[in-house]
Amino acid sequence: MSAHADPQTYDAIIIGGGHNGLVAALTLARAHRRVLVLERRAQLGGAASTEELIPGFRFNTGAPNANLLPADVFGLFRQHPPDFMQPAVRAFAPQPDGSGITIWRDTERTAMELATRSAKDAKAYWEFARQLERFAGVLSKMAHLRPPSLTQNPARLLMAWAGLALQLRRLGARDMMDFMRVLPMGAATWLNEHFEDEGIKGLYAAYATTGIMQGPRASGTAFMLLYQHMGGTLQRLVRGGVGAVSESLAKEATQLGVSIRTGAGVARILTSDGGVTGVELEDGEQIHARQVLSNADPHTTFLKLLGSAQLEPRLYRRFRSLKLRGSSATVHFALGGVPQFLGAVGQADRLQGDIIISPSLDYAEQAYDDAKHGRLSAAPVLIARIPSLLDASLAPTRKHTLSVTVRYAPYALAESNWDAERERMGDMVLDMLAEYAPSLRTLVEDRRVITPLDYEREYGLAGGSEMHGQMGLDQLLLNRPVPGSVGFRLGGHGPRGLYICGAGGHPGGGLTGLPGLLAAQQALQEQP
Amino acid sequence: MANSATYDAIVIGGGHNGLVNAAYLARAGLKTLVLEQRHVLGGATVSEEIYPGFKFSVFSYVVSLMRPEIIRELELVRHGLTILPLESTITPLPDGRYIYRGPDSAATFRNISQFSTRDAEAYREYSYAMYHMAKAVKYILSIRPPDPTSFDPRELLALLKLGKHFLSLGEENIYTLAKLMTMSSADFLEEWFETDPLIATLSASGIIGTFLGPRSPGSAYVLLHHYMGEIDGVFRAWGFARGGTGGVAEAIASSARALGAELRTEARVAHVITRNGRAVGVALENGDEIYAKRIISSLDPKLTFLKLVDQNELPSDLVNRVGKFDSYGSSGKVNLALDAMPELSCLPGYGEHMRGAISISPSVNYIERAYDEAKYGRFAKKPYVDIIFPSAIDPGMAPPGKHVMSCFVQYAPYQLAEGDWNSQREAFGDAVVDTLSEYMPNLKQLILHRQVLSPWDIEQTIGLSGGNIFQGELSLSQLFFLRPAPGYAQYRTPIANYYQCGSGTHPGGGITGAPGRLAAIEILKDAGKVLQ
Repeated sequence: MSAHADPQTYDAIIIGGGHNGLVAALTLARAHRRVLVLERRAQLGGAASTEELIPGFRFNTGAPNANLLPADVFGLFRQHPPDFMQPAVRAFAPQPDGSGITIWRDTERTAMELATRSAKDAKAYWEFARQLERFAGVLSKMAHLRPPSLTQNPARLLMAWAGLALQLRRLGARDMMDFMRVLPMGAATWLNEHFEDEGIKGLYAAYATTGIMQGPRASGTAFMLLYQHMGGTLQRLVRGGVGAVSESLAKEATQLGVSIRTGAGVARILTSDGGVTGVELEDGEQIHARQVLSNADPHTTFLKLLGSAQLEPRLYRRFRSLKLRGSSATVHFALGGVPQFLGAVGQADRLQGDIIISPSLDYAEQAYDDAKHGRLSAAPVLIARIPSLLDASLAPTRKHTLSVTVRYAPYALAESNWDAERERMGDMVLDMLAEYAPSLRTLVEDRRVITPLDYEREYGLAGGSEMHGQMGLDQLLLNRPVPGSVGFRLGGHGPRGLYICGAGGHPGGGLTGLPGLLAAQQALQEQP
Repeated sequence: MANSATYDAIVIGGGHNGLVNAAYLARAGLKTLVLEQRHVLGGATVSEEIYPGFKFSVFSYVVSLMRPEIIRELELVRHGLTILPLESTITPLPDGRYIYRGPDSAATFRNISQFSTRDAEAYREYSYAMYHMAKAVKYILSIRPPDPTSFDPRELLALLKLGKHFLSLGEENIYTLAKLMTMSSADFLEEWFETDPLIATLSASGIIGTFLGPRSPGSAYVLLHHYMGEIDGVFRAWGFARGGTGGVAEAIASSARALGAELRTEARVAHVITRNGRAVGVALENGDEIYAKRIISSLDPKLTFLKLVDQNELPSDLVNRVGKFDSYGSSGKVNLALDAMPELSCLPGYGEHMRGAISISPSVNYIERAYDEAKYGRFAKKPYVDIIFPSAIDPGMAPPGKHVMSCFVQYAPYQLAEGDWNSQREAFGDAVVDTLSEYMPNLKQLILHRQVLSPWDIEQTIGLSGGNIFQGELSLSQLFFLRPAPGYAQYRTPIANYYQCGSGTHPGGGITGAPGRLAAIEILKDAGKVLQ
């Protein structure tokens, strides 16, 4: 059926065709709702896209992998499951002394290699890996539950959380206490409790500060380290690029009658007497629906699309003080061949996961110090990926794609602006990587630099925040997106029928599909 | 050998918590002995005549958190405790302006308005909100932390009561409390104010004594911790004890003596004597052995568990946990004997403001930069300094016309990347005096004597491990039922009849006396008595 046949009859409109928006659409469609997805860009996927930035070279422009995608979201794929690849390696960290640290899926192999650096750390790694797996496991259970609210909670929800609390107790007194102790910690403190070698601490510091404008010493970074391991220690890549996940979701959705329109930017959310009635597109077209689920970030959704006039002052202040704090940039390189990294020469299998430049805790902390004062890190933490190693379809024959996440690249620069810094950063990243992979210079054929400002302009991420709002301890659970939320909508005087279904909702950022899934489930429950 | 117990209880350490604990035990009829290693009681709560005629509040320098029930129950006022108001804070700025907050709310309003009328308005709301927050958390200060892992109905009930208490605060307060527990003090304050030096000065309460910057999450809790004193109407918000901070210890000591406790100084405990898993006495360094039915340590967790007793007596996970207990000191102290009162160039003269606190906190980034240096093992060349002139409040602290100046300094890391504190101490003192001279040009020529204390010196003099003034960081990972270690937060230890009562236990540091009192309740419970 065509979307335009009878625009009055949509049950729900999804603003934004990111992976969470599509998961929400699919979930609603499975419950026989008539759903319309509106995507501003020409292609679907949002921050889970694969794009041909350079002719012949396709890059993951947002999420780099599907490590965090949980089984119940897989379950949504019936006819068109994406094709996942699981390399044996999670991460490789070349060190300034020419050596390297590799984290394999196989704990024993990792520990054996660590032993050559520190027998103590090799032993410690077993316990660390165990804690990481158990604690991240608890976290992932929390990630699958709608956060309780202070005002309204369905009995079923409270039961679910009570059940989780019980499971937490079943961890045993020691692990339960450790979990509560570690959760609010700085990653540095936690890592120092386990390891002595700076290299491995630096490696994990890179994960711990993902999407947070804080250094590894900061409280809350241990949480992020766990969050980044909710999918276990395995690396899950997507054949054809991460965008294939969004494409599969879209295929499944259309088959269920979901209408999807690209190049359809929403200008505002329409309301009348306290409830949403639909949306107005940038070209003035109005489309009506009983519910609106926004995959846009909360700042954009409530302050731009809904409009501050629709928010009572208290709620308005909460959105104003929402901490976005985008602090990552990406440099995409088109390569003429496979670069050789010191510490992994002739061992391309070590390069199939994340390649991390973060040789020590102090290195990562100092990178943050610059950003804290509004400067691009002089020596940034880098997380590089070469997905074409496992997926030749991403680049021309024998050529490769290298994507490098740069931290910290603060959205707000104190003494410069991103249009001025863009290429300087590109050069700096190449220089830095070349120190660990000298052959790289000769291999680079072209590059594209994506700054936090570009993330805002092109992908609509307010403040360049890939997490739709910094994932600090103060912006989690019932404080996500803002205090006073009831699950994925606003409580109290918020507009009825408007839900956040993106990373700005619980549990947060990353390619999890969970905000989309949970928001859709809430929307279904609240309007049977 | 059957050494009969000569005492019902021995308290190791004559700091304020040890004294409070002893006073309560004596009050319940226990024959109690306090053993203090130094020649003077008080621990970090002490006044000493470091330079002839000049009395310094050597370490802790202001009072505000002392629990009112303790002041009442131990009749500390009758025993000489007098708190003199310390009501104003002035923040001199490099551009010659200053921020002044004092008892006269109109004056405060006028001053802040010069920077931002919005902030002047917000300041009232803010003070009101913090008053309520502190009130909300006060309940926690007065209870023994429950054990969330236990299935004991009493523990479950305690958890339930706790949950009920929080829900009773009401939606808005819970959100604010959640922020205070998780945010950085700068982030929290930036939701209220726009004037950077005001935010910096207020956020400084969030870094005092901790190894955090104003932008580090967790500092908002420390900020709240420092507001808890501002609620109980008994005394003025922040105050200064007559005779210096030692005046507090003397009052508690006098009360303890009156209640029958015996207080012994220059009696350094070498270790706790145990007989088949039970504490039975202590061995002093001079070889004496004193026996008692129960031993209470007011020392920090590292000393209590790793030095005073044989680690083989303890479960390995506790030893390992306490080994990792974060008690890394970050604060220094510079005490000056002055020939006369110096002048603030931003507000010359010796008005009311010189009887209050002076805060060197011109901007949030200023404090963050100081923290940045400390993170890598260097003392801050341009530190945050909290200054008071005790002699301006209590003339008895210095000879007529002369003055003592107390400067609390962040940051001074316990461990220096280069050199040690013996070689760096005076350079640190110089950095502080140079910083102050930018705001008090005539300071240098007035200095008669200078005492510089690094965290290392604090550890050397009064024993605090790592020189941490709270006996351990006030971080979420080390609070409430996690303080000092999971499973041992109820003042008992794995060794029968061996207890802890220092700031390393809930509710933590500051001159509150709360750990000493709460421990006494548990000890008396085990002794089949109740604390009246």
